[in-house]
Amino acid sequence: MPRYREVVREPGEAVMLGNAAIARGFLEAGLQFAASYPGTPSTEITEALAYAYKTLGWPVVQWSVNEKVALESALGAAIAGLRSFAGMKHVGLNVASDPFFSSAYLGVEGALVVVSADDPWMWSSQNEQDNRWYGVHAYVFTVEPKGVQDAKEAACHALEWSAMLKRPVLLRITTRIAHSRTSFKLGPLKRIPIEGRFEKNPQRWTLIPEFARRHRLELLRYWEELKAKAHQFPLNVVEGEGDVAVLASGIGYRYAKEALEELGLEAKVFGLSTPVPLPDKFAEELSQFEKVVVVEEGEPVVELQLRAALQELGSKAKVFGKTDGSVRLYGELDLEDVKELLAKVFGVEYGRPKALEPPKMPPRPPVLCPGCPYRSYFYALKRAVNRLRVEPVYSGDIGCYSLGINKPFEVQDIIIDMGASIGAGIGLSKALKDRVVISIIGDSTFFHSGMTALADAVYNRAPLLVIVLDNFTTAMTGHQPHPGIGVDAAMRPAPRIEIESVVRGLGVEKVVTVDAFNILESQRGTEEALRYVLENKKPAVVIARGACALVALAQARKRKVEVPKYYVDESKCTACGICYTAFNCPAILKREDGKAWIDPALCVGCAQCEQICPFGAFVPEKRVKEWERLLRTARPG
Amino acid sequence: MGALAQNRQAGVRGLKLEVVIAGVGGQGLITLADLIAKSARRAGNDVVVAETHGLSQRGGSVVVYVRINGSAPLVSEGRGDLMLAMELIEAVRYSKFLKPGARVVANDYLVPPPLPGLEPPKREELVEFLNKNFSLELVDATKRALDMGDVRVANVILLGRALKVGAFDGFFSAEDVEEVIREAWGPGRNLEALRAA
Ligand SMILES: Cc1ncc(C[n+]2csc(CCOP(=O)(O)OP(=O)(O)O)c2C)c(N)n1
Ligand code: SF4
Repeated sequence: MPRYREVVREPGEAVMLGNAAIARGFLEAGLQFAASYPGTPSTEITEALAYAYKTLGWPVVQWSVNEKVALESALGAAIAGLRSFAGMKHVGLNVASDPFFSSAYLGVEGALVVVSADDPWMWSSQNEQDNRWYGVHAYVFTVEPKGVQDAKEAACHALEWSAMLKRPVLLRITTRIAHSRTSFKLGPLKRIPIEGRFEKNPQRWTLIPEFARRHRLELLRYWEELKAKAHQFPLNVVEGEGDVAVLASGIGYRYAKEALEELGLEAKVFGLSTPVPLPDKFAEELSQFEKVVVVEEGEPVVELQLRAALQELGSKAKVFGKTDGSVRLYGELDLEDVKELLAKVFGVEYGRPKALEPPKMPPRPPVLCPGCPYRSYFYALKRAVNRLRVEPVYSGDIGCYSLGINKPFEVQDIIIDMGASIGAGIGLSKALKDRVVISIIGDSTFFHSGMTALADAVYNRAPLLVIVLDNFTTAMTGHQPHPGIGVDAAMRPAPRIEIESVVRGLGVEKVVTVDAFNILESQRGTEEALRYVLENKKPAVVIARGACALVALAQARKRKVEVPKYYVDESKCTACGICYTAFNCPAILKREDGKAWIDPALCVGCAQCEQICPFGAFVPEKRVKEWERLLRTARPG
Repeated sequence: MGALAQNRQAGVRGLKLEVVIAGVGGQGLITLADLIAKSARRAGNDVVVAETHGLSQRGGSVVVYVRINGSAPLVSEGRGDLMLAMELIEAVRYSKFLKPGARVVANDYLVPPPLPGLEPPKREELVEFLNKNFSLELVDATKRALDMGDVRVANVILLGRALKVGAFDGFFSAEDVEEVIREAWGPGRNLEALRAA
C-alpha cells in the first residue's frame, strides 16, 4: 500500500496522517512549488507532495540542501507569482530565519506558506522552541490548526490567505498534529499551470536601505490591518456561553473542549487558529470577562499578547495560563492537566485518575540498526585511535550517527546543531593543544552546512580530522535523497555531486575514502588521515562509505535479492563477549552460558561480525555477491 | 440489532475507548493503529491516533495512542481502557497509562534492550505484574507469525485476538477490520493472520 495514496485520491473521506492531510490541503488550494529540507516532525508533508509530483506530475517538489535555500527557493517562486510552500522542522526555521524576515518585508506576488513543525517535549529534537514567536518577531501572519482534525483545512486556507494578502504565512504545527491520524473530507484537487512572471521593479523587490525603510512602514501598516481582520480566518470559532472565557489556540482547543465536556462545565470558548497577531476583536470580547483561561501548546505566545491587549483596554480580567504558573511551561498539553486547571478556575472539585506505578523497566534507547555501516566504521575508528595512542575529542553532529554517543563507542562528545561538528571542531582544535579533534558528520548534514564550515577549517588551518559518513541518504528522517546521490525528490535521475570533489575543491589536501563495511580498510585509512593531521596541523577528511542497511534491505526486497543470515558455530565460540559488548550488534545476543547467539529475525547478513570475532565463530549460511554489492551501493529510489 | 448498527450508535453516543499500543520500533505498531483507526471510522466512530515517529525504526521503545470518540490526541496516565502490546517490557513500561484492571492483550515475546551488560527483566515477573493488575490476555503472536512464514503479521494476529476477546465490542467488529485489510492489501496473509488468532 503506497504510503501516500490518499493524498492524490478522488474526493471523499479518508483516514490520513496530519502531515499527509496538510499536503492534500495544499493541493486543494493550487500549490505549484514546494521546497523543503527534511526534519521530524515536518518531513511527510513534502514526501506526500513528492508522491503527488511523481504520480500526477504536479506540483514541482524539491528537497533543498538546507532550510535557508528551501525558503529562498519558495520565496523566489512566490515572487514570480507561484503558490509555493517551504517546509521544515522548528529548528530549521532558525537556519532559514534570514530570508524569513526579508520575506515579510517584501511580500509575494503569488503565495508563500512556510510550515514550521514544532516538537514540544523534544521527541526528536534538540529543543522545544515555539516558532509562533517568529511570527511576532518577523511580522508574519501565523496560523495553527485546531488539532489534527483541522490540518487539511488550515493548509488550504493558509495558502489562500497568503495569496489574498500577498504576504507570507507561517503555518505552525506540532508533533501531535503532524503525526496524528484522523479522518478527513477530501475536496477536489486544484491544478494551476505554472506561468511565472517577473517585472523589473527594484523598489518592490530589493531591500537596500532606502526601499527597506518604506517596506518597514508598509509592514507596520499591514500588521494593524491584519489585527483588525484576522478574526475572519475561517477556522477561528467562538462557541458556547458562560461566565468564564477560554481562549484555546491550535490544538489547545481540543484539550479545552474535551476537558469542559468531561467536567460538564459551560464556558465561552474562543477556538483560535490565528495566534499571531491576536485578532483585535477577540481581545475586545475577552476584555469583558472576569476570568480568562488560555490553553495553548508551547510557550505563552497568545497569552502575552492577550495580557498586553487587556492592559491597553483597561480590562480587569484575570488571566490563567503559563506565565502565572497555572500551566506548565514545558512539555505537551495533557487532558488531565487542563481538567485540573479548569476545575480550579470554576471552583469545582476534581481528582485526576490514579495511575499505577509499574516497576522500573530498563531504558530502550534507539540503537544503530543491525547491519548499519556506522557500527563497523566506529569499531574501526576506535581501533585506529587506540593504535595511535591519542585521546580525541569527538565533535558530534545530528543524524543516525548521533547514536554513537552510547556505549560501546562513545564517539559523540558534543552535539549542538546540524553542521556544528566542523564549526565547533575548529574552535575546539584551536583551544586544545594536546588533544586531537575528530568531527563526525553525515552526508546530508555535510551538504546542509558542513561544506561552508569545512572551507573555514581549511582557510583557518584547523588541525581537524573530519569524517564524512556517506550512507547515500538522509537516514534519520526517513531516507530522503540529497545532492550526493543522483536522484531527486520524485526519485528520478538527477545530477550527483561527489563528496570527494567538493572536499578537494574546498582545499583539503588529504582525502581518504574507505569502505565502511570493511573494518581493516577503515582502520588503516583513518590512521593514515589522523597521522596526517597530527603531523601537518592541517585538516584531513575521511569519507566512510556504506549504504544505510534499511535502504539496502528495501532495495533487496524490490529486486528479489536474497539476504543471507549468519549463525554461530558453537564449537568455535569461546564466550569471550567481544561481539555483544565491544561491538554490540542488536542481532547478537548473549546466551546463558556466555556464548553468542544470532537472532535470525534481526540478522541482515552484513558480514561485520565475521571480521571482529577472533575465533571465526560467525558463519554465513551462504554468500550472496549481489547483497554484498547492495550494502555498498544501495540508495533510495 | 446487528453489530454494525450497535457500533454506529456507540459512535453517536460518543462513548470513548482509550487504547494504548506499545512495543518496539519495527514491530508494526503504526500499521496496527492505522487498522484500528480505519475500522473504528468504518463503523461510524470518530478517532484520533497519536503516533511516535522519527527514531522508531531503530528498535527504540514506541507507544501509540488511539482515542476512539475522543478529540484530544493523547491518553493521560491512569485513563487507558485497553492496551495492545507487542512486547512485554514495553507493556509494563506503558501500563501507567491504564486504568487499574484495564484489559491488556500482549504478545508473549520479550526483546531485551541491546545495552551492553544489561540483565533484562524476567518474562515471568512481567507476566505476573500484568496479571495482578490488569485483565491479561497473552498471545504468542510472534511465534505464530514465524510459523506462518512472515514475522511481520504478528501485529495482525494480536489484533485478531483482541477482537476475539471482545476488546472492541460496541466500537467495531471483525468484519470491519477484514474489510479494511482487504482494501489495504487485498485478501492474503494478513486476513489469514487475523483469523488465525
Ligand atoms: C536545522 C535542522 N534541520 C533538520 C534537522 C533534522 N535532522 C536531524 S538529522 C538530519 C539529517 C541526517 O542526515 P545525515 O547527516 O545524512 O545522517 P544519517 O541520518 O544518514 O546518519 C536531519 C535532517 C535538524 N536536526 N536540524
Ligand atoms: S537507519 Fe540506516 S543509517 Fe540509521 S542506524 Fe539504521 S542502518 Fe544506520
